Amino acid sequence: MKRLRRALLAITCLLSAMPAMGGGEFALAEVAPGVFVHAGKPLPLDAPGHDDIANIGFIVGSKCVAVIDTGGSLRIGRALRAAIQQRSRLPVCYVIDTHVHVDHVLGNAAFKADKPSFIGSDLLTAALVRSREFFLKQYAADFDAPADAAQIVAPDRSVAPGETLSLDLGERHLQLRAWPKSHTDCDLTVFDDKTRTLWTGDLLFVQRLPALDGSVKGWLGVIDELLKLPAPRHIVPGHGAVGSDLAAMLAPERAYLRMLEQGVRAQIAAGKPMDAAIREVGASEKGTWLLWGETHPHNVARVYQELEWE
Amino acid sequence: MRRIFLLITPLLCLAPALAIGDSPSPSVGAWNSYLHKQLYGDREIGEVDENYMRLDGPANTPDPASTPLSLHLGKAAAGKIKQVRIIIDNNPSPLAATMDLKPGVPIDEIDLRVRVDRFTSVRAIAEDTDGRLEMRSTWINAAGGCSAPPSAAGGGQLGDIRFRPSDDNKSLLVSLRHPNSSGFQINPVSGDPIPPHYVRHIKLSAGGQTILEADTGISIAENPSVRISSATALAGPIRFEAEDLPTLKNYSATWNGSAAKAAGTSK
Repeated sequence: MKRLRRALLAITCLLSAMPAMGGGEFALAEVAPGVFVHAGKPLPLDAPGHDDIANIGFIVGSKCVAVIDTGGSLRIGRALRAAIQQRSRLPVCYVIDTHVHVDHVLGNAAFKADKPSFIGSDLLTAALVRSREFFLKQYAADFDAPADAAQIVAPDRSVAPGETLSLDLGERHLQLRAWPKSHTDCDLTVFDDKTRTLWTGDLLFVQRLPALDGSVKGWLGVIDELLKLPAPRHIVPGHGAVGSDLAAMLAPERAYLRMLEQGVRAQIAAGKPMDAAIREVGASEKGTWLLWGETHPHNVARVYQELEWE
Repeated sequence: MRRIFLLITPLLCLAPALAIGDSPSPSVGAWNSYLHKQLYGDREIGEVDENYMRLDGPANTPDPASTPLSLHLGKAAAGKIKQVRIIIDNNPSPLAATMDLKPGVPIDEIDLRVRVDRFTSVRAIAEDTDGRLEMRSTWINAAGGCSAPPSAAGGGQLGDIRFRPSDDNKSLLVSLRHPNSSGFQINPVSGDPIPPHYVRHIKLSAGGQTILEADTGISIAENPSVRISSATALAGPIRFEAEDLPTLKNYSATWNGSAAKAAGTSK
């Protein structure tokens, strides 16, 4: 009996030590000097581990550190913060949110103690307010209990769509640019001039099917604009592997969005209802993307409503 | 202020007896506990097989604020139904539409888009020309369809009407540019409640006779649309009329044939 108890105690200790081990396993890759990325997992938004699906990370200057997206829970935000502290003693001066989605912003509160400036698109605050109830209800377990609105941190500084903001980290500058309605209505990209690294947020999905919450026409327009920028050397997408050829990385997403736009427009013109469009548009591309079934019907429904009155 | 809208909305669009306050626990099922009695009294309602009537909806909606529903009427039913109601049990305003059909017109499919507020049974109840009631239902998983912000739709103005017939003229999609605000929505920019503003009645006629007339409410999606499909070609001209609340504005347009198809006739 004593032995059994001891064994149980050992197991309990092991189990309770696991979260700490989990923190240690928080994988980071230095994709360019001073640019660290934690790769998100290709899981659906309702699966266990859904708080760790987005690419998040940070950039280290000589004065301070800028965090770019904080993950889908306070737990992930804390793991990111711990990983930063392991690599740098510099303060976190900026927390940048690329857009409103839960998998990118819920870790913000983990950085409150650093008193950084939280930065996002002009429209991010309104989008967070709009999502508040949904986050608290649908993702309650990703907050500290009890989940409350105070844990959803909105920006204190913002960038208007079409404009840029330059941040000085010491010996490197980040160019933040906010975009018109595309993936969402509050997308923002970050460009590090020192390493020519472009952090796209969810304006770029690699392998994981792009999710549309803004405007298909707007998104295709933004892709055109991204391709006109001086070519970046390293590209960090919102989801999927980091790469070095922006045009090649954008190509599948662009083809998918064009197919959506043209396919849905043809369905509307033929007087087909939305459910027919969901069944028929893009059916042949099902095998080429991750999480098709979770995302494609939603995308078609969005595009159908966007194009119905053009 | 928001609370006032929450109270007013159900009163506006349903008989007071159907207001939110009467809704019992959704687990009991609004249908069994009160809707059946209020809409149909003690009348018996049969459950038909899918060859007679079928209601299709997505098990997981692609968009809670605009969930497609497709009602199929089989050979035994097409042309013999005088009224169909669409009921979304767990919506704040469950009765989405009461559609009167013209017996003899062989309509075999009706497509609508609706708001779905949470996991719910959605049912279609048809009354045939002999006065028999038949029901088919489906389950839809959704969250927040009644309070979702307005969509990203671009183009068009309030009251614009578009006709989109199929090439064989056997089906026709009619859409009205209208916010169909539920009264549960918040302006995403200002944070203020958006007052209810929705279509309460539509009428569709073909070749001078009314083929579908419906009382509608806040459970119908933004930019209300109805698509009907018939076993025989629809006779022109096609006329669509709608009236909204609380402004009591009328919207109407007539489509005279395929020449107007490209133009998309508006009011």
